[in-house]
Amino acid sequence: MPDFRKQVLLIEDNPGDADLIRLRLIESRTQLDVSCVNRLSEGLASIESTPPSVVLLDLNLPDSQGSETFRKVLEKAPGVPVVILSGKEDEALAMKAIHQGVQDYLIKADLTSRTLERSLRYAVERQAVLRSLDMSRKQQIEFKNQFLSHVSHELRTPLTCIHQYASLLFDGLSGPISPEQRDHLQTILKSVNQLHAMIRDLLEATRAESGKLRIEPRCLALVELVRQAIAMIRPMALEKRITVELEGDSHAPLVYADPDRVLEVLINLTDNAVKFTPPKGSVTIKLSQQATDPEFTYVTVTDTGRGISPEALPLIFERLYQDPDAVDGNRSGLGLGLYIARELVNLHGGRIWVASQPGESTTFTFNLPIYSLSKLLFPVIAPERRLRESMVLVRVDLKPLASPVRGNWKEVCRECLDLMRRCVYADKDLVLPAMATNGPEDTFYIVASTDMERVNIMTTRIVEQISVLTHLKATGTIRATAREIRFPAEMQDKTLEQQVEQVAERVTELILTDFRTMNDFNTKETNANAN
Amino acid sequence: MQTEIKKNDAPNFSRAKILIVDDDPELRMALKLRLRANHYETVSAGDGYSAIALAQKERPNLIILDLGLPVGNGFNVLKRLQENDALSHIPVIVLTARDPQSNELRSLDSGATAFFQKPADNNELLQVIRASLHSASAWGTTPPS
Repeated sequence: MPDFRKQVLLIEDNPGDADLIRLRLIESRTQLDVSCVNRLSEGLASIESTPPSVVLLDLNLPDSQGSETFRKVLEKAPGVPVVILSGKEDEALAMKAIHQGVQDYLIKADLTSRTLERSLRYAVERQAVLRSLDMSRKQQIEFKNQFLSHVSHELRTPLTCIHQYASLLFDGLSGPISPEQRDHLQTILKSVNQLHAMIRDLLEATRAESGKLRIEPRCLALVELVRQAIAMIRPMALEKRITVELEGDSHAPLVYADPDRVLEVLINLTDNAVKFTPPKGSVTIKLSQQATDPEFTYVTVTDTGRGISPEALPLIFERLYQDPDAVDGNRSGLGLGLYIARELVNLHGGRIWVASQPGESTTFTFNLPIYSLSKLLFPVIAPERRLRESMVLVRVDLKPLASPVRGNWKEVCRECLDLMRRCVYADKDLVLPAMATNGPEDTFYIVASTDMERVNIMTTRIVEQISVLTHLKATGTIRATAREIRFPAEMQDKTLEQQVEQVAERVTELILTDFRTMNDFNTKETNANAN
Repeated sequence: MQTEIKKNDAPNFSRAKILIVDDDPELRMALKLRLRANHYETVSAGDGYSAIALAQKERPNLIILDLGLPVGNGFNVLKRLQENDALSHIPVIVLTARDPQSNELRSLDSGATAFFQKPADNNELLQVIRASLHSASAWGTTPPS
C-alpha cells in the first residue's frame, strides 16, 4: 500500500521545544511534512484552510491555556487526530483530554523519535477506524429508519382494508346486524384505530431520530388548545368517572408554538394521565407563569394515579420505555408517546419533566416560549445594536374566489407564507408568524426595513411570485398594501431594548386596527358569496 | 345512459359519478359499496393507464385517486388530467397510504382538490366529496356533454 506523506501540524509557542520535536521527527526517518505555528488562532486557521493528517498540540499557548486549548482544536477539526505534548504529568487533565476525543497525551521530557513517531502513526490509524465505525453506525440508523418508514406504509394498506370492511358491516351497509355483532365490530374498529395510532407514532419517532420532525410555530392562545385536548379526552375519562379540568389562568400570555404539535403533546399527557388513574380520580391541567422564568409559560398535567416509581422516573421519556407495572388490562402501546412529546417540546425550545408521589399522583410539566414580537423583531430592526431609520408594515391579503374545499385553501395559504419568507431579505425583513385564529390564515404581515418609496419593489416581487402558484390562480386573488411605521417622538433617550419594544407595540397597534377593518371586509365577502 | 348524464347537469349531486382509482381490488370494492350506499354512481380502475382511459370515456364528476399505482403512478395521472382540457376541471381527491408530509403539498400542487391518508375517516371523506362536487358545479365548470 502506498504510504502518503503525512502532514503534521505542530502548534507550539516555545521555539526550543519546536526545534526539538522537529529534530525527533526527522530522526524517525518517516515521511512527514511538519509545519509549525506558535499561536492557537494560527493553528485553527491552518486546520481550516488545509486540514493536516495529525495535530501535535502544546496546551499552554499565548492565546489559550489548558483544556480550553484542546477543546477548541477538537471543535474545529472533529475528524483530525490530536496528540497533546505537555511539559508536565497531569493524569486528570490527560484523562479529560482522552475522554473528549484526544488520541494521546505525551510528556515532552520522555520523547524519543521512536515513541513520537509511533504515537502519531497509531493516532492516525485509530482515528480512521473510529471514523469508519461512525460511518457504518450512521448507515445502520439510516437503514433502520428507511425500513421502519417502509414497513409503516405497508402496514397501512391491509389496515385500511380491515377498517373499510368492518365499517361497512358496522354501518349496516352489508345487511342488518344484531346488537351483539355491532358490539364486536366496534371492538374491531377501536383496535384498528389503536393500530393506526401506533403506526403514526412509529413514523413520528423515526422522524424525530433522523432529525426530520418539523414544527411551524405561530402566535397562539395555549388555553384554547388545552380546552380542545380536554374535550377530546373527556368522553374516555367519563367512562372511568374521572374528571378532567382546566385550572387557573385563562389570561395566560400568547405562546410561540405549533398548534398541531402542542395539541399532540397535550393529548398524549392527558390521555396517559387518564389511563393511569383509577376510577373516580381526577386529572387537572394548569397554566402558569414563573417569576424566575419570564420568557416561558408552564403547563402541568396532574393526575391522582398510582404514581411512578423513582427507578422508572429517569427512563420514562426514553424510546420504547414501558412501565413494567402498567398491566391494568390496558394495552400499553409502543412506548413512544412521551419520547415524541419530549422531542416536540424540545423543538419549541422548551423542556418537559415529571415528578411523582408513588401511590398518590404524577405531575408532568412542560414549558413553551411566550410570544414576543420585540424578541422576533430585534435582530431585524436593530442589527449591530442600532435601530433602523425607516420601517414599513406590509399587509398581504389572499382572497378565495369561492368557498373552498377543506384542506386546500389552508394549504394554499401555508404555501404562500413559505414563499413570502423566501421573497424577503432574511436579515432585513420579518414575515410575522401567523396569528392563531379560526380558519385559514389568509392575511399576512411583513415588517420591512425599507421606506415607502422602495417598498413597492418588495410588494411587486411578492405579488408576482405568489400569483404564479398554480392553485392560487384557480382559487384566489392577492392584494398587498403598505403602511409606514412612524416612531413615537420621544424615542431618543430610551435604551435600544425599549425602542424595539415601542416599535413592536406600534406594529401590534397597526395590525389590530387593520384586523378590525379586515373582519368587516371578510363578512361582506362571505355574504356576497352566499347570495 | 344519456338520461343519466342529463340528470347530472342539473344540480343533483347524489347521482354524481365517481371514478375510483386504486390498485387494491378489495379496497376498490369497499369504496364502491360505501359510495353506492350514499347514492353515488361509481366506476373503477386499477392502474394509471386505465384511469385516464376511463376518465375520458365516462367523464366522472369526481375522481378518488391512489398515488401508488402500476402503469403510471398517481402523480402521472394528475398531470395527464391537468393537461387535458376536457378533464382538468374534474375534482380529484387523493387517498393514499403514503406520508402526507412529503405527498400532500405535491398532490395539491399537481392539481388535487384534497388529500387523505389511509385509513381515512369515512364521514370526512364523504363530506369533502360533497363539498368538491358542490364547488365544481357552482363554478359552472362542468362542460356540457
